[in-house]
Amino acid sequence: MQASEKTLNEIKLRIPYVEVKKDKLISIVYVQKELLINTLKTIKEDFGFKLFIDHSVIDTLEAQNRFEAFYILYNVDTKERIVVKTKTEHSLPSIERLWFAGKWAEREAYDMFGIHYEGHEHLVRAFMWDTYSYFPLRKDFPLQGYENVELPSLNETVFGDNLTGTMNYRRTHTYVPTLKDLEYTEKNRIKKKAQVVLNWGPLHPGTHGTMWFLFDLEGERVVQTDVILGQLHRGVEKLAEHEPYQQFLVYTDRMDYISALCSNQAWTVAVERLLGIEDIVPLKAKYIRTMMSELQRINSHLLWLGTYALDLGALTIFLYAFKEREKIMDIIEGITGARLTISYTRIGGVRMDLPEGALEVIESFIKFFPKELKDWEKILSRNRIWLKRNKDVGVLTKEDIFFYGLTGAVARGSGVFYDIRKLEPYDAYGMVDFDVPLGENGDCYDRYLVRVEEMRQSVRIIEQCVQKLKTMSKNEPFMAESQDPKKLRLTLDGIGLKVPAGEVYSSGENPRGELGFYINSKGGLKPYRVKIRPGSFYNLCVYPHLMENRYVADAVTILASLDPVVGEIDR
Amino acid sequence: MSIVALGIIIAIKVVVILAIILGIGAYLTLVERKVAAHIQRRPGPMVVGWHGLLQPLADGIKLLTKEDILPSSANFLLYNLAIVMALVPASLVFAVVPFGPEIHVFGYDIKPILTDVNIGIIMAFAFGSLAVYGVALSGWASNSKYALIGALRKAGIIISYEVVITFAALGPIMLAKSLSTYDIVMAQIHQKVWYIFLQPISFVVFVFALLAETGRVPFDIQEAEAELVTGFTVEYGGMKFGLFPLVEWYVEVLSLSSILTVLYLGGWSPINIPFVGFVDPFFFLGPWSGFIWFIIKVTILFLLVLWLHWTLPRYRIDQITTIAWKVMLPLALFNILITAFIAPLLRG
Amino acid sequence: MIKKVFEKPLNFLETILFLDFIKGMSITIRHAFTKTITTHYPYEKLTPPKRFRGFFGHKTVNGLEPQPVFDEWVDRMKIEPRPGKSRCVVCYLCKKACPVPDLFEIDGGKLENGKKVVSVFNMNLMLCTFCGLCVDACPVDCLFQSDIHETASFSRKDSILNLEKLEAIGKSWQDRREHEPDRIWIDDDARQALWRENKLNLKRVENA
Repeated sequence: MQASEKTLNEIKLRIPYVEVKKDKLISIVYVQKELLINTLKTIKEDFGFKLFIDHSVIDTLEAQNRFEAFYILYNVDTKERIVVKTKTEHSLPSIERLWFAGKWAEREAYDMFGIHYEGHEHLVRAFMWDTYSYFPLRKDFPLQGYENVELPSLNETVFGDNLTGTMNYRRTHTYVPTLKDLEYTEKNRIKKKAQVVLNWGPLHPGTHGTMWFLFDLEGERVVQTDVILGQLHRGVEKLAEHEPYQQFLVYTDRMDYISALCSNQAWTVAVERLLGIEDIVPLKAKYIRTMMSELQRINSHLLWLGTYALDLGALTIFLYAFKEREKIMDIIEGITGARLTISYTRIGGVRMDLPEGALEVIESFIKFFPKELKDWEKILSRNRIWLKRNKDVGVLTKEDIFFYGLTGAVARGSGVFYDIRKLEPYDAYGMVDFDVPLGENGDCYDRYLVRVEEMRQSVRIIEQCVQKLKTMSKNEPFMAESQDPKKLRLTLDGIGLKVPAGEVYSSGENPRGELGFYINSKGGLKPYRVKIRPGSFYNLCVYPHLMENRYVADAVTILASLDPVVGEIDR
Repeated sequence: MSIVALGIIIAIKVVVILAIILGIGAYLTLVERKVAAHIQRRPGPMVVGWHGLLQPLADGIKLLTKEDILPSSANFLLYNLAIVMALVPASLVFAVVPFGPEIHVFGYDIKPILTDVNIGIIMAFAFGSLAVYGVALSGWASNSKYALIGALRKAGIIISYEVVITFAALGPIMLAKSLSTYDIVMAQIHQKVWYIFLQPISFVVFVFALLAETGRVPFDIQEAEAELVTGFTVEYGGMKFGLFPLVEWYVEVLSLSSILTVLYLGGWSPINIPFVGFVDPFFFLGPWSGFIWFIIKVTILFLLVLWLHWTLPRYRIDQITTIAWKVMLPLALFNILITAFIAPLLRG
Repeated sequence: MIKKVFEKPLNFLETILFLDFIKGMSITIRHAFTKTITTHYPYEKLTPPKRFRGFFGHKTVNGLEPQPVFDEWVDRMKIEPRPGKSRCVVCYLCKKACPVPDLFEIDGGKLENGKKVVSVFNMNLMLCTFCGLCVDACPVDCLFQSDIHETASFSRKDSILNLEKLEAIGKSWQDRREHEPDRIWIDDDARQALWRENKLNLKRVENA
């Protein structure tokens, strides 16, 4: 929910120099740059908005105070969300002391916009290499970048290819980093305090993707670590400013490529909320979206379990998990046509109805799956080696969750009840019955138990959806009909869909955390600014804190229990 | 016996042992891949030969024809010496393993053991200790951070578990009143009991020490791909790389399983009913049935090791050394205390 | 609503008798004696389902077009429909719907009787995301996605589909698979290796 009128009035009483504004979608507090830190501190401590959601910058191209910065905060007890905004020309005070997650968000804003943060401990670029000289998300930086390098490999002609016009590669390219640039980035990232600096990554079978960790080692103990990201950065936020709303769906698949349908659903729900058409989406489409999303959740958790067990040495669980995953992918392929990058939802519904036999196959899958899960738990859950490797490793307290902005199973493992499906229901989640598992100690073992239990609850949700879908006839619509086709054109292909001016922040519960979209639209076919709040990015920022004074062998355990995926971190 | 006959017999024994060890070692890779595959619900190698029977040949040809690399800052002598120091001691353990009872061939009495020294068990453990040289030398000579960390971990494990395995083996030695491997088996046959029934604690400790010495799960922190790629062998390529797992995982497991059979499972004796006697379904083969029983016991132990490998997760390095010094060593000493009371009760 | 997760720690008897190891090992040994679940590609292959999103094709004019939509568009865009050739009405809707601006290259040529036909239709599949938005946009059920997925080649030229290749793929699809029912998959027997343990029992198809 957005922060209520009552809360906003109390804030205005306590801090008289702010301005407040509330509409149906968002509640904003405007403040001057000099008074920003005090305002945030009061809102955090006195009003309980302790959980850090996101922070970024919009380039408004005005003559004075060109950049508009926003901070999104959440109150877990009263379930309210608030946005604090300020304007600046080129610098801001750093909120590192209030929330550590802000340190990483500020690195990204510095990298993309060139905003300088005063008081930041180590302001380096988040995604680009340190000797890069541009700021890509500013409005005066072109979409293709500055293509002034000729790469020999693009200009070879083998087999006499004489492709013409747009069917051929462009011959010039943007600047590609050299080995010297990367070495400079590496040396600049960490100041060596102990014996050896070990590079873990960027190409390594143990990191879940292409992340580059630097360990400062004293024997086998880690003294400090840091992360270099950006090996998979594709500039999705810049592309969003040049794509219509429906066409951007394709890019959301490729961010968190393991649970693609959940990301699709989060984007579709965000645009539907901005349009105000949440109520006219047909019931069948809502149930289908929920069911497919829960199948993807089981899929993603199976991959997590397989790679977690693989990293810790139990090699057969990996293949058992992939056997079940293969069945889910067969189901999804039969319904949507693709296995990995799905793009099945449309703004207003889904692309196609379910084929014949889909519900029977899903039923037979969920009847057999809990037995398999129980078998694997016999191998792992009470095994003394598993307990020794996971108990009391990577402990996170409740205060840590708020300070680092952690969401998803990581937050629930420490006992914080934060599940977007229950706090802000979207699609059919308000109409089905399920429990939310919570852990106690916040160590790796609890996070493991929470995720395994989530798989069982997903089976429960799918069962209820299947029962409901069996009662619906074949002729029920799966795509919304717009009341006024001239003003709002809702079609399967999304041509001509105009969105009114406004802004919204809407999030969905991905298996990896909370995936949020902040959309700022000035009317028209394309959005003005899209900020993607990835769950894995903020879940990863607690990693240097957890790795202090631990062995290298724990690096694998802790990283696997945080469950990052690099496509989402780097976008 | 004349010198010539003695020489011929020894030469035949050496050739047979080396051929079997290295030949079986290669085919054990296929056995492992097939067993692991079926546990994981997939068929394993199926294309090369009928159901993959020629796969080790294909692997061997592939590894032998790869480029022989040497990192530019590595120490050439130690880099190549490490492989020798890994392979030779592991094979030498087979010099003191008795494969069967005494047989009469062409009028000569031959014991199927290469050298029946009266300190056989000590020789076996001494050769096992030499294995640490192969590890430490290759880790140092590779001149790479990952190799160094892997080598230090492995060397630490081998040294700790050498102590444990020696103390665990003291139990059967006290019961048999002899250090020679042949005599230990004969003592079990005369006393009509396999020592596993009298020494269960020591058997479990020995099995764990076997897993640790040979680098098998749950102690294979060395091969933890997620952390160190392949540990101290990361800078090796081609057949030199293929030789390390061959030695560690197959030859050493076979040798230590043979020692375990000798100490606890009665060597070549058939099925045992404690204190009553032996039952031999293969009695029609005469003295050759002993060889069959030895092979069966070693095979069962190897399959047990494989089964554990593909089921359990692995320990962390500090937990491995903690277990060795704080749990296994006190258990082994406790076992010696108990054995001191049992040993005088067994006559002969 | 909230469910606390908790596991009991091991008690003494379980520790000394290694019961946790033995339970785990009993699971793996049971799996070792069950049938395998893999299909041995390329000797055994699975058939992709009808909705599979593979390479593109143009359906040809054969009397089964969606009426009255096809006739409306033919009149509006002044197209000459030729039997056996593509149904394309050069409306450019697929190009508008595609997220990648440069993927389609479409052009129409004029005939002597004043009507148009499509003359150039190039798709650069090196840029394609296979999302299917162009298929949703086509009003006359011309552009569609077939089940071709084994598309490795040696030259970039093979990733550019021109009008002839599209028509060939379309004709082959219309002969092979147009009449299949809209079922989740069509090759139940080949998939039994994986689904046997679920005891899957789907209704048989009428015309497979």
